[in-house]
Amino acid sequence: MKRYRDSPRASRARRLSRKPELDLVAIPDVRVPQLGPQNRLRVPEKSGTLIGIDMIRLKSLTKTFDGRRILREIDLQVDAGEFIFLTGVSGAGKSTLLKLLYAAERPSEGGVWVAGQRVDQLSRHKLALLRRKIGVIFQDFKLLRHKTVLENVTFVLRFHGLGAREAHRRAYQVLKRLGLHHRQSALPEVLSGGEQQRVAIARALAYQPRLILADEPTGNLDADLAGELLSLLCDINYQGATIMVATHDHALLEAMPARTLVLHQGRIEYDGSWPP
Amino acid sequence: MAHALEEGLALLRRRGTVSAVLALSLAVPLSLAGFTTSLGLWSRPFVALENKASVVRVLLHPRMDAGQRRNWINEQARLHQDWTLSEVDREALEERLKVWFPYLEDLLEGENAIELPTLVEVKAGVPEEVSVLTEGPAVIAVGPTSSIDRVLGLVARTATWLLGCISAILLASAFSLVATWIHLEVYRHADEITIMRLVGATESAIRSPFVVAALIPGICAGFAASVGTWYLVRMVAVAAEAVGLSPPAFPVWLPAVEIGIGVILPVVAALLTMARHARVGDAE
Repeated sequence: MKRYRDSPRASRARRLSRKPELDLVAIPDVRVPQLGPQNRLRVPEKSGTLIGIDMIRLKSLTKTFDGRRILREIDLQVDAGEFIFLTGVSGAGKSTLLKLLYAAERPSEGGVWVAGQRVDQLSRHKLALLRRKIGVIFQDFKLLRHKTVLENVTFVLRFHGLGAREAHRRAYQVLKRLGLHHRQSALPEVLSGGEQQRVAIARALAYQPRLILADEPTGNLDADLAGELLSLLCDINYQGATIMVATHDHALLEAMPARTLVLHQGRIEYDGSWPP
Repeated sequence: MAHALEEGLALLRRRGTVSAVLALSLAVPLSLAGFTTSLGLWSRPFVALENKASVVRVLLHPRMDAGQRRNWINEQARLHQDWTLSEVDREALEERLKVWFPYLEDLLEGENAIELPTLVEVKAGVPEEVSVLTEGPAVIAVGPTSSIDRVLGLVARTATWLLGCISAILLASAFSLVATWIHLEVYRHADEITIMRLVGATESAIRSPFVVAALIPGICAGFAASVGTWYLVRMVAVAAEAVGLSPPAFPVWLPAVEIGIGVILPVVAALLTMARHARVGDAE
């Protein structure tokens, strides 16, 4: 808790001088009861942005499916520590762009760099190691059906090198932070959509990634939970992680001032603060 | 490693019956292979007998004099160069007859001793060929041309080969069964593999639970096969002792070899299957 009693200047200097380490236990609760422009999150002065240090770089990125261009020659640079919203109508290419970032898809043309590594040219092993730095909140949750809520979070931590006890401790803390600790023994199939989404979020945050990619993370959450999630992401960003959230929920965009990319027909139509 | 063990055991728990069938399908051929090895070791002296040159006894006409006998022996040695012919001394023949048939002693000694035919021993690779000598006037009898040793050797060799082949076929079936099971499990868990890849699991982290799931039935099969082999060898030993033969041995290294094969076979099957279907669940 000591770090939160430091002056903002000292805190920021320390963040910039070392690799960001997330500590979910230490994250203070920032409750946002309902989203909307009337209660926008007060974000501290641009926190943890490492100007000039690319977390994401896209160069002439084009993605084609069956001859149809989903993304067209996108150039983008995201500094480490930035919080970015990615928005656009359905089919604009938001999810595809995220998939290219975590190498679930390969670009048809151009290149994708994440944390300084060209993801589309990495070996399987190096790609696995890179993905350990990326926390992905999937739109379809991608939970393991045979594992309980707690196991869904711990299994990721286990192959990140944590022992069973430490993995359980940390998974429980994240689940508690997301209000799911009472359902830790439940299987995903008995959870509601919102609860499944929160498990997916817990799994993505548990191993303290340097980059978080969220694909419609509030799609199944009510306004209160969406606000809670946004505040959590904001806190994690405050500690130095880079966050990219794909959403078409304008309430989410209005709740927090952040760099916003608007995708339209596969191109970045707008890059700036929201509202345009 | 601990993670792989946990996941592998979880996989086995979910597929308990299949795992038991798998272990059994490995244990049976392993046990049979172990039994074959034990029998092979036991019957090795018999198998050696099959290739040992047999001695066939030939009785020559008693009226033949020494010169005729020598000529006949030389002639046969020239015609059958792979044979070794040797004439048994009269004294030696008498001694043998006295030992084998003590009641003939009176006939062999004294003034009215009977005239013995000449015994020639023919050492031949194929004893059946010696029977051709009966066609000549010099020969009055040819001893048994099919030796019991040879028959024993042939039976032992055939039995070992047969059991060996059956074991090999069953082991190959078990290998194929393990590979097919792993193949099915890999496709059944394709979604999980995709998710694991997306959250940063390395290939070894993904594959190791499947290898563990194949390894554990293999170890169990190895132990079960050792017990099975011991039981089969014991049964044969009891039967052998009953007919006055020395019992087959159960070598101390045999269980270790069976457990080793029980471990190696499914692991190799799992690794090959995983390598062959490496792209299952690939997100790309």
